[in-house]
Amino acid sequence: MNKTFAIVKKELHSYFSSPIAYIILIATLSLFNAFFFLIIDQNHEASLRDMFILMEFMFVFLIPLLTMRMFSEEKANGTMEFLLTSPLSLSMIVSGKYLSMLIFYSLLIGMTLIYYFILEYFGNPDAASIFYGYIGIWLEGAFFIAVGLLVSSWTRNQIIAALVSYALIFSLYFSTSFTKYFSGSTESFFMQLSTRTHLENFAVGIITPSNITYYLTGIILCLVLTRLSIDNRLWQ
Amino acid sequence: MLIAKHISKRFGAHQALENVSFEINEGEIVGFLGKNGAGKTTLMRIITTFLTASSGTVIIDGEDIAKHSLSVREKIGYLPEKPPLYSEMTVASYLKFAAQIKGVAAKKESFQVAKVLDDCDLLRVKNQKIATLSKGYKQRVGIAQAIIHEPKLLILDEPTSGLDPIQILQVLALIKNQRDQRTVLLSTHTLNEIEQVAQRVLMMKAGQIVLDESLEELLKKKQLAQSHPVTLEQIFIDYHQEQAPLNFLGQGL
Repeated sequence: MNKTFAIVKKELHSYFSSPIAYIILIATLSLFNAFFFLIIDQNHEASLRDMFILMEFMFVFLIPLLTMRMFSEEKANGTMEFLLTSPLSLSMIVSGKYLSMLIFYSLLIGMTLIYYFILEYFGNPDAASIFYGYIGIWLEGAFFIAVGLLVSSWTRNQIIAALVSYALIFSLYFSTSFTKYFSGSTESFFMQLSTRTHLENFAVGIITPSNITYYLTGIILCLVLTRLSIDNRLWQ
Repeated sequence: MLIAKHISKRFGAHQALENVSFEINEGEIVGFLGKNGAGKTTLMRIITTFLTASSGTVIIDGEDIAKHSLSVREKIGYLPEKPPLYSEMTVASYLKFAAQIKGVAAKKESFQVAKVLDDCDLLRVKNQKIATLSKGYKQRVGIAQAIIHEPKLLILDEPTSGLDPIQILQVLALIKNQRDQRTVLLSTHTLNEIEQVAQRVLMMKAGQIVLDESLEELLKKKQLAQSHPVTLEQIFIDYHQEQAPLNFLGQGL
């Protein structure tokens, strides 16, 4: 656990020692703030439902930029050899990397909690549905991060890592768009595969075991595949 | 300390190592020679568990590296050809991180960091970002991370590559200082470095060990055979003669 924690600390130090982390935080929050006031002004509703949908759409574009360097940079710099010849298990390396990005993402999400307090001050929002919405958006980001981490374990090139992550995350996000071409179980499959289907429930305050299972299964599957990819040195 | 038995490694159609066997005793400094592509780095990567052998076994301090990978890695310090450094970290924070992931006990962490900073003459730059260091300093930071957990076996892949003569002397002095503390396997192209620090020589050619002998014995034998003083450089050329530009090198030009 101490070794995993050491990796988490080192990763967080690495994000915040460059201006990129601050630029991403400031730019994303500025956009969120602008849209928050636009949505409230238009809907006149004490709800964050549309805000969650917007955040999900923005994270589709943002998360591959955050995750593209996670393993690719280690490989390009030769530090992967350092990690893999140190007395660290693959699970420690993968979970350390994943947790560090999850903390960064949670910080970003946490900063948007101010929207709830603004709504609370001026109106009478449904605290439970906002709480479920936050759980949904957090799980969705956690899933996207796991996808980005997996792709980053395949290549030493950060641009390729970002592009392949976009391809996978876009496919997950837009898979509902393909449902009109299919019917029956295939239609249902594409519907269930889409992150939008699952987040919509959270955004309106519905939390079901199948939605939670969808995200947790996706996260665990990606982390297990990341571990396998590193174990088999797939980037070589 | 280290027993390698019948190690072979294949990358697709390329046979990088073929039936390599050798032993290294505790406390020895062994010089590892061979031309580029001879298989030195591949063999070192197998010993350090970064790569797995296609066949064969490696035993370090009585433990099979395939079965006890984690515990074996605690006993190995490794400096790859390119020092594995995080340029955005300071020297001290990088060494602290290295100590933590290599399992140095929390209460000994500060002591070990201070010790390797002193041993590797890094105190002056301990708060400097690694990105701003000279190549010589970066190499010393690389050695510092390799010895921070007091490994029994130290593996150095071309630690003096690209350094100026003064930096080479400093790195060699550092390696010599390890003599009484651990077993060292040192790979280099600079034969005179092996003559300065090693007690034994392993030479590889086309994925096989072609020479495994104590340096003293080797030089003595060659000297007797040729009845004039011989250097390791000449022995190296002899072993690779069929591929070297013969007359040019043979005349020592």
